This record gives sequence, structure tokens and C-alpha cells, in this order.
Amino acid sequence: MPIEMGRLFDLGLMTLLVLCALAVVRTKDLLAASIIFSAYSLVMCLVWDHRGAPDVAMTEAAVGAGVTTVLFLSAISKTVRKER
Amino acid sequence: MKRALVIALLAAVAMPLLLAAARMPRFGSVEQPAYTHVARRYLERGAEEAGAENIVTGVILNYRGFDTNGEVTVIFTACAAVAAVLACSGEGRRPVRAGTPVALSPVVRYVVRLLAPFIALFAFYVVVFGEVSPGGGFQGGTVFGALIIVTTVVVGRDEAERLSPERPRLWLQAAGPLSFLAVGTVGALLTGWYLGFPHVPRAIAASMLMALEFGIGVGGAMVLAGIFWRLGDEA
Repeated sequence: MPIEMGRLFDLGLMTLLVLCALAVVRTKDLLAASIIFSAYSLVMCLVWDHRGAPDVAMTEAAVGAGVTTVLFLSAISKTVRKER
Repeated sequence: MKRALVIALLAAVAMPLLLAAARMPRFGSVEQPAYTHVARRYLERGAEEAGAENIVTGVILNYRGFDTNGEVTVIFTACAAVAAVLACSGEGRRPVRAGTPVALSPVVRYVVRLLAPFIALFAFYVVVFGEVSPGGGFQGGTVFGALIIVTTVVVGRDEAERLSPERPRLWLQAAGPLSFLAVGTVGALLTGWYLGFPHVPRAIAASMLMALEFGIGVGGAMVLAGIFWRLGDEA
């Protein structure tokens, strides 16, 4: 049965998304969790673009992967790095 | 015991959701609700009716202008709420001076300085060409906001504050709702409806859309930068 490249790509992205989401929940180190969350946003950005929404992809890359991570980092720098 | 209960509860919630998802039309299928109601009209007549060749822009700013007006207000409110909450916990604003500042890597500094003008140009391009290509006020604004944040990291908070004085900054943060108010009023004078866009001279509708794009872009960028700066204040 032939599998289209696009579907395979989609499947890979979705797997990555689920893995990132699980990793974010499981890490106790909040700094690492923010970075993984940023990676999640980057994968999400690829998903948006692949699904034909390049403008949403652009916002996801700037806000999800960029600004939110920076805000998380500055929040962590004011509190504690480890989850209790 | 508790764990088993949680798992059972989650499965009970997930089951109907998954079943419902399985019954939805496939991605991209013409049966989707999104394609069966108003989308046909948007696609067929959007380009000439809404004044923008990019149909997404036409829908966001013209057909669904009220929604976007509300969204822009929400974004401004978020910024105001962050400012209000953080201002409550300390008197006045004092930039952080705790501990010794960590020296920034010269690689980061050089790369940011090198890329900054290109990022700014890209943000401007995304805003201006939002009418014909993917992009627009929100997208360009977030790119520019990210640029302001990364520049603040490199040049330091004091320098960044010096470049953007408090009073105009507050007005710029409100640029989104204010531009909607202004364009909406112009539309009300021209067509009789708030946020109405006149059809006949296309240039008028196009320049109204452009004013909205710039308002959203500037407002969004300043709100992002404002939230970042507020978080940098000592709480």
C-alpha cells in the first residue's frame, strides 16, 4: 500500500508533538521544560505550515517559540528552577 | 485505588471525545462546516468585496472586523493586567539590580546586532504585504515584538527604556484598539455602520485596512515588549 510523503511527514510531526508534550509534563527542571515547550512550538509551527496556514505558523514561531519562552525564563529567574 | 479511579475517569472523558472526533469530516473535505456556509462567498467575492487580495486578511479585518476589534482589546487588557498586578507588589518601578549581571556572550551580541535591521525589515514587509500574501498586523507585530525583546537583552534595559519614553509607549500599546476606534468611526461616517468599508473607491477601503494592520502591528509589538519589561521590574 503506497503511503504519501505528506501523510508520513504529518505522522512524524504528530509523534514529535506527543513526545514533546509528555517530556514537558514529566521534567522536574522548569528551565528544561521551557526549552522543550519551545521545541513543541517549533514542531507546531511546522504542522501549521504543512496544513496550509503559513500566517499562523509565523505567529507560532514568534510568539510560541520565542516570546513565551522568554517570559517563562524571566519568570523562572524570579522564582525557583526546580519543581517541588 | 486512587490511580485506577483517575485513569477510569480520564478514559470515560476521552472516549466520547475521541468518538466525536472520529465522526468529524476529514481534514480538507468539502463536507466540513467551514466550507458549507459562508466560505463560498468569501472565496468567490472576497477579493473585490473586502478590499484585500489575501482572503484571510479580508475575513479577519473586514467580514469579521468586530471579532478582531475584540481580540485587539483583549491583548491590550492583558498588558494592562500584567502592569497592574506587578505594580501592586512594589511601590514604583525599579529595574532589577540584584546580584552581578551575567556578561553576555559576544557571539550573541554580534549576531543580534547583525540581524536586527533584517528582522525589522521582515516585520515591516509582513505587515505591509499582509494584503496580498500570508501575514499581516498580528504576524509582523509579533516578529517586531520579539526583535524588541532580543534587543533589550543585548543593549540592556536602561538603554531600551531611554529609547522608548513612558508616555508615548503607553499610547503605542493601545494602538490596536485606538486604530480600530478611528477606522471604525471613519467607516461609520462613510457607510453608516461602525467598521463599515465603502466598496466603490477601492483605495479608501485599502487604506483603512492598511491603517488597521499598522495599528495592530505596533500595538502587538509594544504589548509584547511591555510585558517583558514589566517582568524585568523588581517585584
